[in-house]
Amino acid sequence: MIPATMLTNALLVGAVLFCLGLVGILTRRNLIVMFLSAELMLQGVSVTLVAWSRYHGDWGGQVLVVFVLTVAACEAAVALVFVLQAFARTGRLDASAWQSLREENLPRVIDHELPADDRVVPTWPHLSPAGVLPEGDDSRSLERDHV
Amino acid sequence: MPSSAANLLVLVPLLPLLGAIGTVLLGRRLGPRAHLPAVAGIGAAAVVALLLLLGTANQVGAGHGDPLRPAEPVEMITTLWQWATVGDARSGDLSVTENSGLGAPVAPGTADHGGAFSIPIALRLDPLTATLLTIITGVGLLVAIYSIGYMHDDPGYPRFFALVAMFVFSMSMLVAASNFLLVYVFWEAVGACSYLLIGFWYTKPEAARAAKKAFLVNRVGDFGLAIATFLLWMTYGTLDFHDTHLADGTIVEGILGQIRLADEAGYVGGAVGTAICLLMLLAACGKSAQMPLHVWLPDAMEGPTPASALIHAATMVTAGIYLITRSAPLFVGCPGALAMVSIVGATTALVAALIATVQNDLKRVLAYSTISQLGYMFVALGTGTMLGFTAAIFHLVTHAFFKALLFLGAGSVMHAMGGVIDMRRFGGLRHVMPITAATFLVGACALAGVPPFAGFFSKDEILATLHAKAHPDAHGSDHAEAGSAGERPRDSSGQLGVAAPSPFRPASMTTRSARRGAPGEHGSTTEKVGLDALDHPSTWRLLFWMSLLTAGLTAFYTFRAVFMTFTGPVRVPKEAGHHAHESPPAMTSPLLVLAVLSAFSGLVLFVTNALSSFLAATPSLTAPAVARTAVPHVFHWDIAIQGTLAAAIGIAVAAIGHLGRRSDSPQMERYLGPLGTLFANKFYFDQIYAALIVKPLEALAMVTAFFDRAIVDGTVDAIGQVPLAWGSAIRRMQSGLVQRYALAGVVGVLAIVLALAWQLRP
Repeated sequence: MIPATMLTNALLVGAVLFCLGLVGILTRRNLIVMFLSAELMLQGVSVTLVAWSRYHGDWGGQVLVVFVLTVAACEAAVALVFVLQAFARTGRLDASAWQSLREENLPRVIDHELPADDRVVPTWPHLSPAGVLPEGDDSRSLERDHV
Repeated sequence: MPSSAANLLVLVPLLPLLGAIGTVLLGRRLGPRAHLPAVAGIGAAAVVALLLLLGTANQVGAGHGDPLRPAEPVEMITTLWQWATVGDARSGDLSVTENSGLGAPVAPGTADHGGAFSIPIALRLDPLTATLLTIITGVGLLVAIYSIGYMHDDPGYPRFFALVAMFVFSMSMLVAASNFLLVYVFWEAVGACSYLLIGFWYTKPEAARAAKKAFLVNRVGDFGLAIATFLLWMTYGTLDFHDTHLADGTIVEGILGQIRLADEAGYVGGAVGTAICLLMLLAACGKSAQMPLHVWLPDAMEGPTPASALIHAATMVTAGIYLITRSAPLFVGCPGALAMVSIVGATTALVAALIATVQNDLKRVLAYSTISQLGYMFVALGTGTMLGFTAAIFHLVTHAFFKALLFLGAGSVMHAMGGVIDMRRFGGLRHVMPITAATFLVGACALAGVPPFAGFFSKDEILATLHAKAHPDAHGSDHAEAGSAGERPRDSSGQLGVAAPSPFRPASMTTRSARRGAPGEHGSTTEKVGLDALDHPSTWRLLFWMSLLTAGLTAFYTFRAVFMTFTGPVRVPKEAGHHAHESPPAMTSPLLVLAVLSAFSGLVLFVTNALSSFLAATPSLTAPAVARTAVPHVFHWDIAIQGTLAAAIGIAVAAIGHLGRRSDSPQMERYLGPLGTLFANKFYFDQIYAALIVKPLEALAMVTAFFDRAIVDGTVDAIGQVPLAWGSAIRRMQSGLVQRYALAGVVGVLAIVLALAWQLRP
């Protein structure tokens, strides 16, 4: 049993954690950070559950939190596999790299252009040909359009 | 000949059916021996049919020598099973619930069947059926053997034999069925086999088109048969040919059963009777290729030649003759309809013969000749006399022999010439293929009516029966009072008033005659329809001369074909290649058998009078109205001389034009002038049909197609656009950005929370 003031404090902490997580998941693009934000939201809810549990003197809430932690651990494993796979596919951790899953004929959302590549093109020394020139993949771009 | 014969009768259709199924199942495995099941099935059926013919002939008896004494009807019915039973069952093995009063025989015109309906799968054996079964299976066997040689190396070899066996099955069932509905079913079945065989080389557009044409034109005739069947059911309350004895002792009179046949007033005349007969005539015109439905038969020559020989010359096209002969008692009550039969027949015979005179395609000459000869049979049928019916069947039998022979001979020529069938491109073939030439000549003599070949006798009988109708006074026997007592003499128009009840009717008939007297019924057979005015000696005189002219034309075009093909300098088209020699024994042996039959069958059958006296025992022909027209069996010298003279003139003209000349030099046609163009264009029948029927239908089809595409499809497509429009609006939300989806989720949750808060506000 805890007094109502402590409950309020605990609930505030939980709400702050939840909102931080929510803002993070809506604004950040890095898949790992988004995943962390989701975890943060989960923890906010957990704090709230524990607070109410203590307030009511009912262990049910804390039991639920133990379950949440267990499930979150499993979910973390699965989610990280997804993230790794996504990285393996696109070479990027940016969630917007998966924009190509959008509806056809819709324009791409580009919120900021990459800075222009102002590097000087290196001039390679010309050697006498030693064999067939390996074919370069000109179509390969930073972001793959096809999964 | 009780049950053993019944079992045998079932075998006649069954064995070819098994042969067909065997060919279908084993055809690919047997490869070049794929003909074995079909040939074995048809062959065994031919043996059985011959046994049945002999058995039936034995039963008809030798004591029946006097043609003026009505023959005892001979028939045997085998009911295999009930196909369909509606209402109170009529079959003997099911209990009959109605009382005896209602169970009395139904009267014509009342159709007192109370909704009861029963279709037995019943087969019958009588002289007519036995004769036709023998022809069908016999010619079928010869054609099948011939096809072994003719069709070898064809990729559709098994299919061909399966279809031929299937056809023999269907045709056997058609002539053995003892029920109008069964007849209709197998009427369609032979049409289907014919369609499949015409279109046998279906990759050839002409063949596919010809098959379609045959099927569609036949459908017009089949429609007539369907309506006639409905009318028969409405009028007589049954579709069975035979009487059915029920378990409770009552008898259901069949349309051609013994009771009704013996009854002078058993058949409906007047408008209804005439309508039935005319519809049957329409059906017969379709199947037997009579004008105006003859246009399919010449095109049917696109099929393999053995199929043409079997189906489009010897058997299937005679189904119309069979139908009319079987329904003879119905027809004799309607003199107008009978006269129409003859008029259609004589017109067809003449027109087809005229067209045949300028054809250059050997098979087409034979096709038009078939139409013409079928017309001859119709002429004989239309006389409505005993001699007429037997002469028609006599001609059917001899025609089956010699026309099958001619077609198979043409096939042999075609085989040797590498598929070329245009007579102008070959000649002098008697040096190349002597057996074919000799047998073809025999067939041609039979067709032309050269004595003593088969066609001479049957044609002579047809001319004689026409002559008897044309000159009723000259033939004293026509007025002879034949038959049993109680029959009234003919009235002035040559027809018998048959309204008076016969005193010899069975007791059960009294109910019927009482009913007949009731007002408002159309059962009176004395009712005259306008068409009956056609039945006048002058009409018959005209028909006689048309037939005689046809006989001369027949001789001309037949021998024109013979001279063009087999005489003159030897010429062989280059397509023939190494094939230009006599055909293999599998093909020539059927030719020899048929040649013997074509040469002697007429003489034998005429001199012994076997066929006529045999057929006279057919139940349909024992009806008093038919039986009393029987005349003594005599040889009409005057008519024979006229017929022979016509044939001789025809042959002479053909010889002047074509004998020994190059076949590509037209000799006779150039004298025809504009008529030649008319004949060569087949009297423009195809063009007229195209203009009157095909083009309007095509225009209608185009309008309908436009309506379908523009309006029906347009509506459906418009309805389909609605969800698409919705989708394209909502689809824009699918941006592929996870954050937006998450935001949408958050907004949704917020909305729910706010809504809950609003609802739970204090």
